[in-house]
Amino acid sequence: MDMKRDYYEDVQLFESNVVLFWSVLLLAFLFTLPLYAPPYRFYLFNLIMVHVILAVGLNVLVGYTGQISLGHAGFFAIGAYGTTLLMTKLGLPFIVALPLAGFISAAFGFILGLPSLRLEGPYLSIATLGFGLTVTHIIGHWDFFGGRLGLQVPPLDLGAGFILKTDIQKYYLILVITIFLVLSARNLMKTRVGRAFVAIRDSDIAAEVIGVNLLIYKTLSFAVSAFYAGIAGGLFGFVLGFFNPEPFNLILSIIFLVMIVVGGLGSIAGAIMGATLITVLQYSLLKNIQEVPYLGPFLVDISTRWFTVIGLENINSIVLGLIMIGIVIFEPLGMFGIWLRIKKYWRTWPF
Amino acid sequence: MKGKWFVISAIVFLWVLTFSAVPGLCNPPGFDDKEIRIASWGPLTGPAAPWGAVSRGPAVLAAMVNEQGGIHGRKIKHIVRDDMYNPAQTKVVVKELVEKIGVFSFVSGPSSAGGLAVKDYLAQNKIIWVGPATSVKEYVFPPQPYLFSVYPLYEDEGSVLAKYVVEKLGIKEIGVVYQNDTYGRNGLDGVRQRLSHLNMKAVAEIPVEATEKDLSSHVLKLKNAGAKAVLMWVNPTTGVVLLKTAATIGYKPQWVSSNTLSDFALMNKISGGLWEGVITGAFMLPPDSDDPRVVKYREAAKKYAPEERFGVFFMAGMMFAEPLIEALKRVGKNLSTGAVLKALNSMKGYQGVGPKLTWSPDQHQGSDSVQIWKCGPGGKTILIQDWTVNELAHWKKK
Amino acid sequence: MFGQLIIEGLSIGACYAVFGIAVVIIYKTSEVINFAQGEMAMISTFIAYHILNVYGLPFWYAFVGALIFAILLGVFIEICFLRPAKNPSVLGLIVITLGAEMLLMGLAGWKWGAEQKDFALPFSFHKTHELFGGMVVNDWAIAVFVMAALLMIFLYIFFRYTKLGVAMRATQQNEHAARIMGIKVERVFSFAWGFSSLIGALAGMFFAARSTLDPAYMLEPFLRAFAAAVLGGLMSIPGVVIGAGILGLLENFFGFYWPAWKPIVAFLVIVLVLCIRPSGLFARHYEKKV
Repeated sequence: MDMKRDYYEDVQLFESNVVLFWSVLLLAFLFTLPLYAPPYRFYLFNLIMVHVILAVGLNVLVGYTGQISLGHAGFFAIGAYGTTLLMTKLGLPFIVALPLAGFISAAFGFILGLPSLRLEGPYLSIATLGFGLTVTHIIGHWDFFGGRLGLQVPPLDLGAGFILKTDIQKYYLILVITIFLVLSARNLMKTRVGRAFVAIRDSDIAAEVIGVNLLIYKTLSFAVSAFYAGIAGGLFGFVLGFFNPEPFNLILSIIFLVMIVVGGLGSIAGAIMGATLITVLQYSLLKNIQEVPYLGPFLVDISTRWFTVIGLENINSIVLGLIMIGIVIFEPLGMFGIWLRIKKYWRTWPF
Repeated sequence: MKGKWFVISAIVFLWVLTFSAVPGLCNPPGFDDKEIRIASWGPLTGPAAPWGAVSRGPAVLAAMVNEQGGIHGRKIKHIVRDDMYNPAQTKVVVKELVEKIGVFSFVSGPSSAGGLAVKDYLAQNKIIWVGPATSVKEYVFPPQPYLFSVYPLYEDEGSVLAKYVVEKLGIKEIGVVYQNDTYGRNGLDGVRQRLSHLNMKAVAEIPVEATEKDLSSHVLKLKNAGAKAVLMWVNPTTGVVLLKTAATIGYKPQWVSSNTLSDFALMNKISGGLWEGVITGAFMLPPDSDDPRVVKYREAAKKYAPEERFGVFFMAGMMFAEPLIEALKRVGKNLSTGAVLKALNSMKGYQGVGPKLTWSPDQHQGSDSVQIWKCGPGGKTILIQDWTVNELAHWKKK
Repeated sequence: MFGQLIIEGLSIGACYAVFGIAVVIIYKTSEVINFAQGEMAMISTFIAYHILNVYGLPFWYAFVGALIFAILLGVFIEICFLRPAKNPSVLGLIVITLGAEMLLMGLAGWKWGAEQKDFALPFSFHKTHELFGGMVVNDWAIAVFVMAALLMIFLYIFFRYTKLGVAMRATQQNEHAARIMGIKVERVFSFAWGFSSLIGALAGMFFAARSTLDPAYMLEPFLRAFAAAVLGGLMSIPGVVIGAGILGLLENFFGFYWPAWKPIVAFLVIVLVLCIRPSGLFARHYEKKV
């Protein structure tokens, strides 16, 4: 791939003028989106961005440090409940509550990171699984958290009279936070910390030998990804306006994992692509498949003969499952890998 | 790197600019001269999918109305969307329906969390919602101008059932098993209300997780407490497991349940025949009754939704939409949200196949009475007590 | 009354044990945690239901049919989903099994609809037998105990004395060495998956008889059986059986005294075991070589 000649080149934000040009264009597009996208779509965009934040954070843990987490829904929930409760019960302003919830989540991440020193592979995934389930259960049962019914989220008050009510206003706030967090993650990966993470992934025993302190870096990795998940959770609460413990379950953790695996482990762009694809799949693309012009009636036809028409909506799960299996079998680098292949093909054409 | 700063400042400028602008676009109308669009969300996939039937029911009612030429020349189009019982999804589908397609009113719609997530959004956009398929106190207390509830409160139902058990069946040792959420707790409150009125207490009050499939310890606890009647506020699977487990240890109390388990045809089948003799509350006429209205619905369902089983919850979907259709009929040709609101608010004692409904501008909990059914052999429904009002209901003493 | 709690705990524990054995067999041979185990069992049970109700054949036909289907399904998944993955990482394998799980759940929901169905075994709930001290044991529980016991004996003999069993153990200990010794490793994997799917389907049918049959009914039992396997040791079959027994008893005691917190027992067990003794009570932990 592209070779870097010195450290400054590696760390540079925009590799070349071409990249700068495309980045500016992308940003301009994102910021002026309300001018040409219908307003009801912004709810979906907000959800996508929340998931992007989370995916980037999870990628730090799974893609760069090589640890597995099946319990990220727990951190997501801590972020959501934390922000809302800090604002309602303690009356903290949003600007304080959101990062604070992120830090609380990071603290839990740190705690979860401790067993990771002893466990590896499947055992670690089980531990994180247990953690995620425990968090959901406690939240669901303790009345302090609003119990099973859920919590109403207070209005998004930025202070100085700026109250964000519509989806589009929230869109801007979330967009800025997302860009900031994504850039931070990218920069983090270029520093010593990031290199330590990658070293741990490639071989943690060797990393320890060259002097990477496993305790600090493994727990730091968990904490960072938990922080991202917490912020994402807090924003998620505001996007929704009301939430209950039910969505924060094992299936959600699995979906998070799918986002980064499908998008491409170990690459920020991959995490973004994966999060976007999966969120769109889950929330909008495969619904109402009966109404798609040619495919719809065809599927309904098959359904009436061998399956049930009522169950047609399940095609959502089926396609998701196939994508998951397909990506791991055919393109382990995920969507980012596919993107790389396209670039390579384009570059080396016509040979 | 001057270019970078230029870019950043341009972005900030744009941000401030658009922050101050608040676009106020209008939603497409929910009706035109040819059709009125009504919609429901519901869990069509996922673990809660058995409840999806209640969101598909209104389509049959709409088809019946259209068959007769529609309402004052307009056909009713019913749209269903899957929300997987997840409030995030509920919001997505509702927004798409309201802002892209244009919906006049929502009907039915199970999932308390989903409903609570979209309730304010619907009110802001002035969309009527009639007959949510679940009873949530926050829907009607305080009353929302656009939300009309048909479902009787679980609290009232609990009170009425407890009264029946104590007074008509003469059983004093009562145990309660309830799901650990608002649904279960409301039922428990109703039972407690009635029992304390009679200076009694339940011998056991046992919470249970909705997904728990191993209930031996719960049942043993009930048996140990000597409960001769057990009142259940659980979901169908839990109910079946409770009865099966009790059968294995030879414990045979009188089982009483909330109306969520009143689909006897289904319950009897999946419990292997154990459901016979169970008493439940009910919020409408039995689907296998001979009442002419029910027969008409049955025939229509066979015609328009042949794949669906005509069970309690499918018919309930139709029942929840009845008042809306009635209000639309009463309004006449000059259709508007305001006119329909007025018609709904002035409904007094309207009764379809469900309970008697009375709404007024400051009272949107339409019904206060339940029936009591008993499961007969083969899942047949036996009506053992007709519409009973909970006279202890405190929400009426205002 | 305590005795009844014990019997109930042991009988559900035996069911978890059988299912846990299925999970352990796959883990022992291919070092994959098969998250799709529950759904594989679920679909096999649905097939049994289908044969019973739609084709109207007697129970034993449906039973055998479901078991055959389970074997084929296990082999199919191994050949089509796991083998093509070139050098998958642990995460990759987990994602594949999770993908299979979503696929199967979606298919079941599509084919049979989401409403709960009934499924009954010939061992009925109602026939109870009085034991001493007022405790009752029903047919279902007896069937589970018998099945679990038979399975354990069979597996013991199988792994110790048959060629295939020894081959499986060899493959698990060192795949390359096994290959060199002439063992067809691919066949061993396929067999392991098929066999494990079969056992899972057995357990699945017993679970369905105890509650109801719907596409998501195996999610909870899978987690419990999994906790039992972690407790007993993911590599050890007697471990998982004892672990399941302990879990069943623990759950019931918790359920009696603090019903609201019963589900959390399984997770707490997982967390505690992993903190104190990650390889479980009975397994030996092999150190990772550099």
